[in-house]
Amino acid sequence: MSLAEPKQRDLHSAATSHRGDRIFNRTVTALAFTALVVLAGIAIFLGYSAVDALRTQGLDFLFTTEWTIGEDPKAGIAGMLYGSVLLALIGLVIAIPASLLLSTFIVFMAPKRLANLMTNVVDLMAAIPSIIIGLWAFYILTPPAEEWQSLLNQYLGWIPLFQNSSGNFNGTPFIAGLVLAIMMIPIITSVSREVLGRTPPDLINAAEALGCSRWTMLRMVAFPYGRGGIVGGIMLGLGRALGETIAIFFVLKLVFEINWYHIIESGGGSVATLIVASFGEVSGPYELNLLLAAGFFLFLGTLIVNMIANLIVNRSGKMQR
Amino acid sequence: MTTVLDRESLVQDQQPQRPWRKRPVQLDASIAIATLVPAAIVAGIFATTDIPGAVVLLVVYLPLQLVAAAIAALVTRGRRGVADSFLIVSAIGATIFSFIILISLIGSLIVRGIEALWGPEGFRSSFLFQNNVYINPSTPLEYGGLGHAILGTLIIVGISTLIAVPIGIATAVYITEVRGRAVPYVRFFVQSMSGIPSIVAGLFILTVLIVSGAIGQSAFAGGLAYAILMLPTVARTAEEVLRLIPDDLRTGALALGSTRARVVLRVVLPAAKTGIVTAIILGIARVIGETAPLLLTSLKSDQTVLNPFNSPIAALPTYIFDNVALPYPGAVARAWGAALVLMLLVLILFTIARIIGRDRVGRRS
Repeated sequence: MSLAEPKQRDLHSAATSHRGDRIFNRTVTALAFTALVVLAGIAIFLGYSAVDALRTQGLDFLFTTEWTIGEDPKAGIAGMLYGSVLLALIGLVIAIPASLLLSTFIVFMAPKRLANLMTNVVDLMAAIPSIIIGLWAFYILTPPAEEWQSLLNQYLGWIPLFQNSSGNFNGTPFIAGLVLAIMMIPIITSVSREVLGRTPPDLINAAEALGCSRWTMLRMVAFPYGRGGIVGGIMLGLGRALGETIAIFFVLKLVFEINWYHIIESGGGSVATLIVASFGEVSGPYELNLLLAAGFFLFLGTLIVNMIANLIVNRSGKMQR
Repeated sequence: MTTVLDRESLVQDQQPQRPWRKRPVQLDASIAIATLVPAAIVAGIFATTDIPGAVVLLVVYLPLQLVAAAIAALVTRGRRGVADSFLIVSAIGATIFSFIILISLIGSLIVRGIEALWGPEGFRSSFLFQNNVYINPSTPLEYGGLGHAILGTLIIVGISTLIAVPIGIATAVYITEVRGRAVPYVRFFVQSMSGIPSIVAGLFILTVLIVSGAIGQSAFAGGLAYAILMLPTVARTAEEVLRLIPDDLRTGALALGSTRARVVLRVVLPAAKTGIVTAIILGIARVIGETAPLLLTSLKSDQTVLNPFNSPIAALPTYIFDNVALPYPGAVARAWGAALVLMLLVLILFTIARIIGRDRVGRRS
């Protein structure tokens, strides 16, 4: 007579034997889907407005720049959509090198205490509310930035990018992009700091034993190793930049025309800021609906950017574990 | 044969490198020269011309320092050192750049914010406790304050905490304790949700609840918008914390015969208490300064409002927003004062979260 094999109980699977457990499990599961419900709700409710706007305005809503609400309303947010992208690009051009250098310094160069301090400084910068950054940018950053731009125009004005015919350097995409860079740097830095910090010490030691200089080590070992995470961090920063509202509101002169590349010419666009700026003096339900539609496209853009970012970050995280 | 000879002579020519040797004086001297000379030149420029400081730093000092460091590296380490020297100089430059921004931000907040909080008669507690009724933009700073806005922020954040924390913790419990089939999807949705722009959260509450007429613009509406932004932060932090709880606790409790619900409610969550508190604080810090959703959902008020359901209410971020737009120095001073108070709140929350987090790490090790 053989002894009965003890059956292995799966301790981790959801148990359904006990009534209290069943209720608990169902409650928790239902609550866990709140995120999905909210995402779907936003997509449905704002999407409804977007469909409405597209029905009355046609594709002109996405590809024209006129905004006159009256007898025969014409609404186009092309300038705003393009403006959001342009500002984010300016921000990225400044933020990517700055954050990569900053995270390199924290991980590979700074003594331990300074590295801890810098980590806290970066996290604190990420926690500063955007209204405070906007206030600072409006009163403290803008006056000197106007001067920098006029110097830029004076000496590099022959480059189309730095042309300015009006002599007005206030409310330019350059300043707004600079502000966005300041808000993106902490995000990109903290992600890439973590990723670079996870480079296996063996690889670093091996590279150094082979006589690599620090730069070669970074180029051949650390950056290739953390590439996925760094790209994901950049996308996360991009997502924040696209959705930023209040800080931009203070420093950008909102115009509906497309400002293609005159980054130190006054006037630019941003979808998120358009919503806040127009909401105060909204003329009626129709214009409100247009703003909701603009919000839908903002939501769609940031959602896609964030989903890609999260996929990249998650995948690179798994590979390293 | 000749090639072999050549190689031998080459090997003999090469000085043996001894990296464990003390740093040569030559290296220290070249570093000193490479840092002092550009600094001296730039100091000279500062003294003699009036070009804006930032421009000098970026256009003159940085390239000059790069060149000087490259020359120093070339002298001491040869061509391979040049890339390293560029890297070091620009990394330190980026670090100083971020320090300058942070110091400028905090410094201007203190310098300009103190004007509203500190008068000739000393600390103005009135600014913290009075409200904005009977105050117009040119009223002296001795009268009126942001008491109503602080109270409003507390009410709105309180409402959002009451909503977001249970849901956030439940989400984390689902991921780490219930471990149902949908875990990867739930995690993905929570991550995606954390990317929702704050203005979109405001628009959502506006269109679903306010335009449809269900509730008016009020603290409750603002709290709901805040909850959307707070939920992902709470859920993700709580998930990380619950992951740290050792499985022995769970299996031990199960072996003693407790039901799964009890394991979570009586064993796992109490064990993760400090971590959960950290998650809540981080969630509050995430939303407390958000302005855009409140502009759509709770509007503003000059009075002290206690009813969270049917009246527009003031909050710190919207108070700042309104006062910045006014072309009066007094109003702007109030905005800076409110910004200082808001920043202090964020700083306190941030520090508490750090201290609790450090304690937890300390105890584990």
